[in-house]
Amino acid sequence: MKKNEPVRQIKTKKGSLSREEQQKQLEFQKEAVVHLNSLYNYALHMTMNPDDAEDLVQETYLKAYRFFNSFERGTNCKAWLFKILKNNYINRFRKNSREPGKVDYDLIKDFYHSIKDTRSDTTEAESDYFHSLLHEEVYQALHSLPEEFREVIQLCDIEGFTYEEIANMVESPIGTVRSRLYRGRKLLRVQLESYAKKYGFNTNADQ
Amino acid sequence: MLINKINTYNFFNMNCKKARVLMSAAVDSELNLKEEQDFLAHLSECKECHEEFREAKKTKMIIKERIVQFKAPQSLVNSNMQLTSIPATEHEDTLLFE
Repeated sequence: MKKNEPVRQIKTKKGSLSREEQQKQLEFQKEAVVHLNSLYNYALHMTMNPDDAEDLVQETYLKAYRFFNSFERGTNCKAWLFKILKNNYINRFRKNSREPGKVDYDLIKDFYHSIKDTRSDTTEAESDYFHSLLHEEVYQALHSLPEEFREVIQLCDIEGFTYEEIANMVESPIGTVRSRLYRGRKLLRVQLESYAKKYGFNTNADQ
Repeated sequence: MLINKINTYNFFNMNCKKARVLMSAAVDSELNLKEEQDFLAHLSECKECHEEFREAKKTKMIIKERIVQFKAPQSLVNSNMQLTSIPATEHEDTLLFE
């Protein structure tokens, strides 16, 4: 990158941004805002409420933007954002959260259908509807797990983080992450047994 | 059930115990080379662990493929595209100062 431009090029009136700020915005969009869907989904899983999820994500991005200079370039920005999101969640929501370990299937069901119905993206509505009915069971199975197991499974299987990144997020050693994943999957397997049979995951196709 | 059956093998086979410690990391390709070699060697001679490994991979696959990912509301996307750290007035002051 050439450095032949002054940092603040724009002589502005109210509302315009400095060159520096524009660059920061651009970089932030490229590095951070691209993970918005992932963050939103994770927030949904934690809060089980679209409004709370939205607030949580919004708060996370505001904080991330404010401290964007402290983000270590070249490291995983998504992991950084997830960590902020999790801290926000703990500070804000956990105090009033449901009893740990108690699973309210009606709540999950209501949540699942309300979020499905209010989705703005309707282009694939029909197949999505089928999709949703088919997968509600998986959603419930995941939410039947104790939080410490559900958390690592989501971070690993859905979000694709490495063990090192997960260990950092949940503030536990990698060995703990390993064993939580092992035990969590074992519990899930029991929950998903009939689902797997019903939808053909019980074939011998070894992957 | 398979899981219960497997647990009964625990007491006489240390290798199975070790394999279970490595199981999730094997599913997620997080083993180092040596661990992977040991793990695979064990699987080749232990039907139970081999089966458990397959089941664990299957469980991962179901979660990965079947948990629906929702799209974030457009309003949320919009409000995060143009965040600014300097309020307009403060910014003007800075420029004046230059």
